[in-house]
Amino acid sequence: MNLGTRKLLDRAFTALGFGSIAIMGLMLLIVLVPIVSNGISALVFRSTVEHRKMAYNEFHRGNQTSLDKEIAESDAARKPVYEILSGFEAELKLMDEDKQQEYKDKYDQVRTALRALLGPLPGESEPALTRLKYGQNRWEKAEEKLHEFLYEKKWDYSNPDVAAKEYFVSRSAGFEGTSLVRLFPYVEKNIDRMLLPEWTFYWGFITDSSVDSHIFGGIWPEIQGTIFLAVGAMLFAFPLGVVAAVYFTEYAREGFFTSLLRSANSTLAGVPSIVFGLFGLAFFINTLKVSESKSVLAGSLTLAIMILPTIIRSAEEAILAVPRTYKEASLGLGSTKWNTIVTVILPAALPGILTGGVISLGRAAGETAPIIFTAAVSVGSAIGLADVFSSPTPALSWNIYNLASEHEAASEIRHVQYGMVLSLITIVLLLNLSAIVLRARISKKLKG
Amino acid sequence: MSVEDTANQVRSSAFVVSARRRKWQKISKTAGESTLLLIASFVAVVVLFIFYFVARDAVPFFQIRGFSEFFTSTNWYPADEPPGFGALAIIYGSLMVTVGSALIAIPMGVTAAICLSDVIPFSVRQYVKPIIEMLAAIPSVAFGFFALVILAPLLQNFGGPILMWTWWLIASPFLLLAVIVATELFTARISNEKSRNLISRGLIAVLGVTAIGFLFVVGRKLQGIEILTGTNALNVSIILSFMALPTIVSVSEDALQAVGRELREGSYALGATRAETIVKTILPAASSGILAAVILGIMRALGETMVVWMASGNSSHIPNPWFNYLESVRTLTATIAGDMGEADQVTGSARFHVLFAMGLLLLIISFVSNFISERIIVRQRKVLSGQ
Repeated sequence: MNLGTRKLLDRAFTALGFGSIAIMGLMLLIVLVPIVSNGISALVFRSTVEHRKMAYNEFHRGNQTSLDKEIAESDAARKPVYEILSGFEAELKLMDEDKQQEYKDKYDQVRTALRALLGPLPGESEPALTRLKYGQNRWEKAEEKLHEFLYEKKWDYSNPDVAAKEYFVSRSAGFEGTSLVRLFPYVEKNIDRMLLPEWTFYWGFITDSSVDSHIFGGIWPEIQGTIFLAVGAMLFAFPLGVVAAVYFTEYAREGFFTSLLRSANSTLAGVPSIVFGLFGLAFFINTLKVSESKSVLAGSLTLAIMILPTIIRSAEEAILAVPRTYKEASLGLGSTKWNTIVTVILPAALPGILTGGVISLGRAAGETAPIIFTAAVSVGSAIGLADVFSSPTPALSWNIYNLASEHEAASEIRHVQYGMVLSLITIVLLLNLSAIVLRARISKKLKG
Repeated sequence: MSVEDTANQVRSSAFVVSARRRKWQKISKTAGESTLLLIASFVAVVVLFIFYFVARDAVPFFQIRGFSEFFTSTNWYPADEPPGFGALAIIYGSLMVTVGSALIAIPMGVTAAICLSDVIPFSVRQYVKPIIEMLAAIPSVAFGFFALVILAPLLQNFGGPILMWTWWLIASPFLLLAVIVATELFTARISNEKSRNLISRGLIAVLGVTAIGFLFVVGRKLQGIEILTGTNALNVSIILSFMALPTIVSVSEDALQAVGRELREGSYALGATRAETIVKTILPAASSGILAAVILGIMRALGETMVVWMASGNSSHIPNPWFNYLESVRTLTATIAGDMGEADQVTGSARFHVLFAMGLLLLIISFVSNFISERIIVRQRKVLSGQ
């Protein structure tokens, strides 16, 4: 091979390495950007008057007089709609039987679509489910529902070779020649007067509990559950881990037993997270019976075991990084070994130990599999501090899964899911960021 | 050790300490040390407990149903009457997504690690490291959500074009390089410069046209592929590979760093380019450490739950043909997570215990591979320090 080719191969090789790193960075962006941008829309969005009604009725938030004014304004815009409906119903009664049958189904569909848009129609009894009590809370959802109201979705099966294609048929065409035809252009034109959208910063998304399994309201119970679980895990794992690290670095003599302990540590680090869940179920709940069934305590203990190896390892590294001279000086001044560890080595290693602790805290907050069988419930209100020994809790990580995969209206509440993911990622990345900053400061300090 | 012993000696000779007090000190020291030892052994106890308690609930399954069905049948109907507990398809699903993610993660991870340790200057490196740390920090459920809500619809709606563009982006630089190198290799022996130039131009034209034709044909074929469901093995493999990458990168970077400067300098002094130094000298020296990194990374993919549970489609069958990554699969972890909710109410039944059997299988695999990778790392450290 001549020199040119070798140089070319060398360049190509370098490009390959840079390409891999670029792809990793790109992937990070591809994952984070949609989550952040959609997640923010859970907090900042154009809310309709229905949202303000909901906030007032369910959370006693907002100003009654201005709300009443808005309701009066939107009701005035909605009045013609209801008049057209009742006019059509009267017209329907006069038609002959066949015609009535023909229109009945279509008319019911129109009413359903309108109900989704504006909430219960006049003359209907108060629905039991909270989600049916209000119309669309969010303007962009209202626009979707408006499209559903104006056009009927149909599927084209005419070509059996390809998958069915969807197409839309205008609903108003089905009511040609009746008084209902007027309804569609009116709604389309006056939808914003009926719903009064305006930009809102809904901080209640963080601090409210959810209403009607996350259709309305916020995610405070989940955030609180995540905090309880992660902090609980730290309470168990951190002291244990630091003490074990002290033993490994200061006391352990290299030998069979120590290497056994070390490989136990790395084995524990490699155990799949779902197996921790199984262990937590079999040991803490079914054998030790720390609680009747799932509880925050059982979940915290399980998470504690999971993060223990990380804490031990990072604490070991932090202790080993303390300059040997510190220790020698302390021993030279006549203090005992234990005294040296407590008063000299641990304080010097503390920032490093804390860094590991903070990263582990983030990992405990983000982990799902260990808490599925030990601590997490799908729906629930925020629990008190006294209940952690006996009751399970919703948690961000579990509820993201639950809302995205198992919720009956998963596609209706994407904004809540995105908001939850954003909150979880924010918590975890903030913890990691503080760890990075902490570490940078330590290395600066150690450099002098 | 020596420092402390000297300190002790100095202390006892310099101060007059009564025999009683010295005895007391000794007792308290032993007591303190054994307490520390006790706490440090906690980890080992936990590992034993995990094995014991998972196995305790796994054994009844094999007592009730025996071994052969679990490992050889694809008949997974735990809720039916009579039930079927054949986990072969599920084990195969786990294997499939693990292999898929390894195929993506290993080349990327190793090249990225090489780039980090040998190519990028130190000052730039500290800006790249946070990318890897952030990838490692993102919770698995967030990746799962991304796979389910964003990637799956994308694959389902634009699967063909996505596959085609990926193919073009990845394959065309490699093919271009291959064409040039092949031409060089062919024409290197021709001594006459004029004819060499002529032949190499002709070769480049012929090979280039063939390569472009190949790119087009395969690209067309890929574009025509219609992905029926976005929640499939490919989706999961892509996401899992990005979750395994941080482990692979950081552990293999450590392995590359452990190869001393002398080897690098020796290779450069002999006139090798950087790529040649890395491929021919450093990679062989660090190969066992990289192998350990790969094993650890793969284990992360195998043990991952949320992503596969949310985005693999959870259908327990062996895809047809067996390498079809565009079909849904089901994995061990997802089965444990998904079936426990229903099986928990019937504690004591085979349906409950089969999930622990799967957990035990995962545990054993992770234990063995962890053990192997640890041995490899220890051995490499010994070899490198011995040289």
